Amino acid sequence: MSDLVTADTAAYRPPSGYFDEVFGADGVPRAHAVSLAAEIAKLGPELLTAAGHRRDAIFVQQGITFDATGEDGPVKDRPFPLDLVPRILPAAEWDHIERGLAQRIRALNRFIDDVYHEREIVRAGIVPWRLIVSRSHFARAAHGVRPPGGVYCHVAGCDLVRDADGSWKVLEDNVRTPSGISYVLENRVAMTRLVPQFFQHHRVRPVDHYPQLLLAGLRSVAPSAEDEATVVVWTPGPMNSAYFEHAFLARQMGVELVEASDLVVRDDVLYMRTTAGLRRVHAVYRRLDDDFVDPLEFRPDSLLGVPGLVRAYRAGTVAIANALGTGVADDKAVYHYVPEMIRFYLGEEPILDNVKTYIMADDAQREAALARRAELVFKPTGESGGKGVFIGPATPREALDGLADVIRSQPEKWIAQEVVNLSTVPTAMPDGSLAPRHVDLRPFAVFGEQIRIVPGGLTRVALKEGSMIVNSSQGGGSKDTWVLEDDAGRGAPGASDTQLHEVVPTQMPGLRYGGDWQGQQQQQQQTRPAIGRRERRGVGRGR
Amino acid sequence: MLSRIAQELFWLGRNVARAEHTARMLDGVFQASLQGRPDDPAGVRLGWGSLLAIMGAQADGRPVRRDEVLNRLTLTRDEPASVISCVSRAREGARTMRDVISAEMWEAVNTTHLALSAGDLEGRMQMGPYSVFQYVKERSALFWGLTSRTMLRDEARAFLVAGGRIESADMVLRMLRVAMPSPGEQAEGTDGVRDGQALALLQAVGGFQAFRRAVPAPPNAGPVARFLLYERAYPDSVAASVDAVHGALVDVDAAPRSSEPVLRLSRLAADLEFRGRAAAEDGNLAEASSLVQSELALIDADIAERYFAGAGAAGGWDRYLVA
Repeated sequence: MSDLVTADTAAYRPPSGYFDEVFGADGVPRAHAVSLAAEIAKLGPELLTAAGHRRDAIFVQQGITFDATGEDGPVKDRPFPLDLVPRILPAAEWDHIERGLAQRIRALNRFIDDVYHEREIVRAGIVPWRLIVSRSHFARAAHGVRPPGGVYCHVAGCDLVRDADGSWKVLEDNVRTPSGISYVLENRVAMTRLVPQFFQHHRVRPVDHYPQLLLAGLRSVAPSAEDEATVVVWTPGPMNSAYFEHAFLARQMGVELVEASDLVVRDDVLYMRTTAGLRRVHAVYRRLDDDFVDPLEFRPDSLLGVPGLVRAYRAGTVAIANALGTGVADDKAVYHYVPEMIRFYLGEEPILDNVKTYIMADDAQREAALARRAELVFKPTGESGGKGVFIGPATPREALDGLADVIRSQPEKWIAQEVVNLSTVPTAMPDGSLAPRHVDLRPFAVFGEQIRIVPGGLTRVALKEGSMIVNSSQGGGSKDTWVLEDDAGRGAPGASDTQLHEVVPTQMPGLRYGGDWQGQQQQQQQTRPAIGRRERRGVGRGR
Repeated sequence: MLSRIAQELFWLGRNVARAEHTARMLDGVFQASLQGRPDDPAGVRLGWGSLLAIMGAQADGRPVRRDEVLNRLTLTRDEPASVISCVSRAREGARTMRDVISAEMWEAVNTTHLALSAGDLEGRMQMGPYSVFQYVKERSALFWGLTSRTMLRDEARAFLVAGGRIESADMVLRMLRVAMPSPGEQAEGTDGVRDGQALALLQAVGGFQAFRRAVPAPPNAGPVARFLLYERAYPDSVAASVDAVHGALVDVDAAPRSSEPVLRLSRLAADLEFRGRAAAEDGNLAEASSLVQSELALIDADIAERYFAGAGAAGGWDRYLVA
């Protein structure tokens, strides 16, 4: 064991059968995490706990909270649980993930376009048309409409997991309204304030340019004539559990946060109501599902929608991100076909694998999967947030038998997946000790003129021992996720080797310090300044 | 009012403003440095060496270490530019004017001074400088808030405000001059990361959200510098500060039309207005910053001569430069 690792990190044992991202099976930290482990050990359990208390106070003060369902029922305004031990990824590993995600998003985008236009993939017999049209997010209103630039999934947040052998797999694709990016940014700021010493020996890639990427991406797809495109963030309202994030993104981008009542369509053009009358809106980053955007096209009972928005969209006067109908790719049954899509549309081999998935609508696959029902995970296809998921090994036999009947009656609404032994990362317990907890990763991509992915993403962590449910809405926590710079040939951070003569403008005047009345009086008695003082002004420099 | 008191008030304002700006600046650079922004030679530079330069402190050509700069510019009493020195000078100034400023203002300054002097400040700096900087920022906001609530809007307040605003303008200009790329090497980054130093600059003056709401352009070096120099709607821009100093002096001067500092300020305000309009074409912001800064130095000297020289104390101001 490395002599750097003392105190609480010495007591840490990664669980067997899982991949621990900081410590190897022998308890020695992995090469890229050695100095992080040392800093944690140096801090010790007490100071780590103290930093945790400061974090909660700051989060409550700043309103970084989340509504969750706890053991005692719903909890409102709980400080978003950020674990102070970061997750750390070396540059090469991130490079692999980044390429894999970009590839996947390109393929998904082609798929959505195909579904609403030529349907080549259906005619090629790869994805059954019946499956596509039966998806609840399939939008007839999107037929034949091609958004500007041909981009549908402007914002994507695919969930990745790491299996026992350390390989990365895609667990699901979120291309409707993936949440969590605000926590990525806020977590980083909080970490630099709470535990700056952790950063000392690493060069961590910044994440705070995400709002800039998003704004640029939205502007690049906005159908605007000469002047700057007007972009808005559309929220269902303050009652939504992700409202903090909606407000955060609007604030960071410097755009308006609108609700349905602020928007109106006139002659197929979208406007917002301002104190100076109606103002044209060119691009909408909407944070609500298709079903609610326009009562004339989707659910007529939706009070959140804007009547006529779909007409405006079809007329091409407004960009909607993500585009209408994108949800068809955000479906656990369609997910199964993504590797095939990559081969079909891009002619490439998938860089990132799927988790092995079985389609319950397929009789053979279903019966084989149901026979192994105590070993697999069963998921309803149209749900998100971990709702309705049955984990075979953790579910009583009777419940699984009941589930089998439900699945047989509505097979197209279910999939089964192999259990992934999610990797673990050391996580601080209330007493400051470290314990392994399971994590996943949600990186965020913006697709405008090209695909940009923020280094890292939201690492969600299951705070209960042994649990693999990481969803924030079910009490999961999060970790700051570091992607390290490729540090070959660079000096240690913390020191700036910049020589002063390189940066200092030559004419910088010195700082003045006044207010010392005594000193001035003495000065005045000694020398009354020369009349020619004015000539010397402006060149008075410290050096 | 007494020249001596006017000068004390002017410097009280400067010291409070300087303490706040220094704290903001250190906090901004500290956070940016932890995030490992790539040092782009063509981008904005706001590193530890630059900070010493901004504050007129020297490193004698040695490589500059983070902890050294943080400690020197925050805690060191022998360093006249440090936050703690600014606060203790402000407190000494306020103590001699307890009859002029309101009791609440005095208490605000005094408490700040005592809190920074007491306790394990070095320990707090070690654990996380943010808490120290945040404290200084909050206390400064409290001071100015109390000024606007509890102090008579008279001559005394005008000098206090003039001092605070001229210091603000000077600090922003210093940051701009050190951090901005030189003419001809201005790079417009595209991936958002390279421009991050411009973000750090905005964070360092506390203008990030204001910039976002006011300027549709991405936070690249050029738009950020234009914003900090010319945007009158942003209260901490150089143009807004110059306007405020001008307004304060017009209010107190018995004959503003023949007052040299007032006339200079009018010309400078008009010049900033003109440059702001032309700035889109004229790219040389570094040169503009330098010109405005030397003009401010002249105004500063004129203020000293016109208002504070009555007591015969304004002479030899260059004695107070950092040697």
